[in-house]
Amino acid sequence: MRLLDIRNLNIELLNLDQPVKAVESVNFSMYPSEVSGLIGESGSGKSLIAKALVGVLNNRWQVTADRFHFMGQDLNKMSMQKRKKIISENIAMIYQEPRRCLDPTSNIFSQLEESLPESYHSGWFNSKKKERVRKCIALLHKVGIKNHNEVFHSYPHMLSEGVCQKIMIAMAIAKQPKLLIADEPTTALESSTSLQVIKLLRSLNQLKDMAVIFITHNLNSITSWADTINVMYCGQLIESSSTKKILTAPKHPYTKALFDSEPDLSEQQNKNRTKLYALKGTIPTLQHLPIGCRLGPRCPNAQKACVIIPEPKKIKGQTFRCHYPLNIKELK
Amino acid sequence: MFNYLYRKTSLLLFISFGITAFAFSLYYLFPGDLLTNMTGITNITEENYQFLADKYKINESIITQYLAFLERLYQGDWGVSINTGDSIYQLIFNLLPATIELALYALIYSFIVAIPFGVLSASESHPWLDKGILSLSLIGFSMPIFWLALIITFIFSISLGWFPTSGRLSLVYDIPPETGFILIDILISDVPYKAEAFSDALEHLAIPTFVLAAYPTTVLIRSTRQSMKSVMQKSYIKAARAKGLSTWQVLKRHGLRNGLLPVIQTLGIHFGTLITLAMVTEVIFAWPGLGALLVDAIHQRDFTTIQGGLLVISALVFLATILFDVLYMIFDPLARIRGHGKI
Repeated sequence: MRLLDIRNLNIELLNLDQPVKAVESVNFSMYPSEVSGLIGESGSGKSLIAKALVGVLNNRWQVTADRFHFMGQDLNKMSMQKRKKIISENIAMIYQEPRRCLDPTSNIFSQLEESLPESYHSGWFNSKKKERVRKCIALLHKVGIKNHNEVFHSYPHMLSEGVCQKIMIAMAIAKQPKLLIADEPTTALESSTSLQVIKLLRSLNQLKDMAVIFITHNLNSITSWADTINVMYCGQLIESSSTKKILTAPKHPYTKALFDSEPDLSEQQNKNRTKLYALKGTIPTLQHLPIGCRLGPRCPNAQKACVIIPEPKKIKGQTFRCHYPLNIKELK
Repeated sequence: MFNYLYRKTSLLLFISFGITAFAFSLYYLFPGDLLTNMTGITNITEENYQFLADKYKINESIITQYLAFLERLYQGDWGVSINTGDSIYQLIFNLLPATIELALYALIYSFIVAIPFGVLSASESHPWLDKGILSLSLIGFSMPIFWLALIITFIFSISLGWFPTSGRLSLVYDIPPETGFILIDILISDVPYKAEAFSDALEHLAIPTFVLAAYPTTVLIRSTRQSMKSVMQKSYIKAARAKGLSTWQVLKRHGLRNGLLPVIQTLGIHFGTLITLAMVTEVIFAWPGLGALLVDAIHQRDFTTIQGGLLVISALVFLATILFDVLYMIFDPLARIRGHGKI
């Protein structure tokens, strides 16, 4: 059974002269305890998908989907309250700027404590509180914070971004969610801390059977542990398949360009001093999207047929939107 | 935290010096005889003159005079009123509770009314509510208080007869003054007509409080709306929502505390205006307070009373400002570290 199954997800921004489709007909699905990477340039709509999933977009955005199944339940048919309840119990999210996502005026303990699920713990009032304190301490230890007492009484401005991100993860796993959405969790952190965070997420995925959607634009941080990778460009999901397939034989030219633009730091490359690879041009704004294939004007092998929007095609579990996919012969 | 309090107290020291130095300089700045300005006694006889000159040290240096002035302030010997000959210290501290009472109730009233309205108008789901509340608050903001007072009195006191037009308590009731706060006095007194007197006092309070509260209420609505609007857009509010907290929980635990912080500051800034407006209100409603006393004193060129009144009112405003600052610090952990070089 699929954990998450979304068909034809559209996200529109309403408060402009005419509604702008920021995310267009995205199909996305994943299995339980799977790690799925969502990759794309900034502005490609990957964070929007995450926010739409958790339901924190404000009313300037309109989210529609033909199918929105979560753990076999059709969330589209439910009332707002029920949907919100299911989502908040089972999906947690961590953000790219952890310190800004913590309330600056209340201390860490109270913020951590409120993300614990309401337990039906019987007993005296005091013992219930003790139980919750114990749970909070356990959560902090789990994410690798040892001096829990100091952290409990601190305010967010006293802590470093790395510690804040660990606290955010502690909050996220407090309800033991089925799915954790990590929205560029390592952008604000320095490399050693970001490695710690990724290791932490990885171990949580393996030990707790927690599915992870890892949103990033840094390929290296995801290719080693993701099961599937989804590549976004201009609000469209242009290619999605298992990590192995996408690494060895990318179908979409943009995916290939994305992997090629990653600087190769091996010795060979350093000796030859080749130019860093980059696609020509820039990502178009949402108001001025090209007709046809969105990559069309920048695509190295665009042809006449590319003025028609390519529909998603599927070959051996690899979905892509391209008229002239690469690496077809190798697969045959 | 203690560091912050220490800084605020040392600020208090400097400002008290400023206020007392200004009050002292009024002896020389007011027209008329120096000794009369100091004592409040108009016809000083020859033998009295020598005694008073020694006591007030007018033949010694300015600094000695100022120190003697401070000592007299501390002892409660503030001279007598030029016009009536009453002790100014007695006069002022008998009337001060009435002013504080009026301003305090107006403040509490404006808090109770303004914060829910401000929060409501900040919510994105009811844009029509926002427009309604905002235009109402604009009317309240731009209406002169004396005109509003007259209109309200005309409608509710004269036409409808629901409330008395002026005063603090009906002359029928005789309440011994203990604290000076009329409601507390009634409660602690042991008169047989306690309940009647209490409701009568409330009726007398209603219109002045409402009129005085008009200004702070509108200011509070606007600042609450502004800050709530920006706070509700913050990432931590969205994160709290994603945690699964209900709208009310988000508001209670994260929204209000962050949203009301700038409101506390605004209130501190506007406290001086509130006291000024309280004076006007006192004059309109014949409320026996410090403001009415001061306005009368200004009309009658009663210099000693003017000086005493100014001293007390400026001290009051300043203490309130510091109080609001300390309140702000208690609620905002960031203020504790950013407190350097800030008033």
